[in-house]
Amino acid sequence: MQRYKKQIGLPQVGENGQEKLKNSKVLVIGVGGLGCAVLPYLAAAGIGKLGLVDGDRVDESNLQRQVLFREKTVGKFKVTEARKQLLALNSEVKIENYQEFLNGENALQLIKNYDLVVDCTDSLAVRYLINDACVLSGKAFVYASVYKFEFQVSVFNFKSGPTYRCLFPDEKAEVQNCEDAGVLGTTVGLSGMFQATEILKIIMDAGEVLSGKLLMYNTLFNRQDIFEFSKIEDLKIDNDFYNRQYIQPFSEEISAEEINENAIFLDVREGYEQPKIAFPRMLEIPLRNLENELCLLNPEEEIQVICQSGKRSLAAVKILKAYNFKNVKSISGGVIALHKLNEVVETT
Amino acid sequence: MLTIKYFGMMAEVAGCDEERLALNETNFSNLILVLHEKYNIQKLAVQVAVNRKIRKQCENFRLKDNDEIAVLPPFSGG
Repeated sequence: MQRYKKQIGLPQVGENGQEKLKNSKVLVIGVGGLGCAVLPYLAAAGIGKLGLVDGDRVDESNLQRQVLFREKTVGKFKVTEARKQLLALNSEVKIENYQEFLNGENALQLIKNYDLVVDCTDSLAVRYLINDACVLSGKAFVYASVYKFEFQVSVFNFKSGPTYRCLFPDEKAEVQNCEDAGVLGTTVGLSGMFQATEILKIIMDAGEVLSGKLLMYNTLFNRQDIFEFSKIEDLKIDNDFYNRQYIQPFSEEISAEEINENAIFLDVREGYEQPKIAFPRMLEIPLRNLENELCLLNPEEEIQVICQSGKRSLAAVKILKAYNFKNVKSISGGVIALHKLNEVVETT
Repeated sequence: MLTIKYFGMMAEVAGCDEERLALNETNFSNLILVLHEKYNIQKLAVQVAVNRKIRKQCENFRLKDNDEIAVLPPFSGG
């Protein structure tokens, strides 16, 4: 405990607070500018377990602000390098690396094993995913984000408090990230310090957490403002919503029940296979000819691919995706499943 | 008069980080409309705060002279 005596001496921390830090598990999503600022302070303070999520490698242009990395680590995986540095700083901390990007498939599983989530990402889409996964998992998340010389910080879903969707309900914002907008390392660093402080406060139950409050900081003029926002009570984030939002759009299959009758139907069976099916917009291209006849299809259109049992149609979806088709799905179970559903199947 | 403060990219869109608008005796929905027309704020998905409290843009209430408005866009860098 000698190493922590400076913080244990604070009445808000004490032996009790230090024990809380030791027993806490924090998942840090994104090991970029914010992650590199937050992580060393969490490790140094004696957080028991840190999870690091990032699938990216160190780029030379990261070194200006991502201070956990070294010139010689350019090209290496960020989580690997960060872990080395953090363990060198505090070998008592358990560090779990997840060398992957957060997505709808892995988010709930990753978050489940942690008490608190830290959003150190630079993408709005991932932020909504973190938000919704945290709401479903009942975990708070500590948020910070930067625009040029300004940053904003808040804590969402804290004791079921307001979430990111309560603050910014409109998902279709056009915003630039650091790479596009440009940023000083110190702005990201400061922003991460505010974030790390909120994390420690939450764990130690000290002071007042930025829940339902958005802190805006302008480093060029040293201006700080806090804005209040309320919970939107009729926002329903449940499993159905999560699946619609993050699982179904990325899955390559849909069930016979989920068919959209207005989409293009692409039958990849051989011409002799029965029963024939009829939809308003039908195309028949046997799988073996598909790559030669792609010109018959529009990559921007919604296409539902069908075969007898769903195997060839799934292969067709993979081919089409490789050719940058945006919205293609295989009908799971194929014509057989469709037949069982008594859809518009005609036997000839 | 109302004081309007712009944050982040919104300050670039407005060309200033603060301006005064002679919009007293108006209501919140009218202010939103004015900001839409002036700066197309919908595109940036901003939130608007009155005296440091973020309000729903569908809310309708009277604004008072010297109210301080803040236009807050989401940030995404990290």
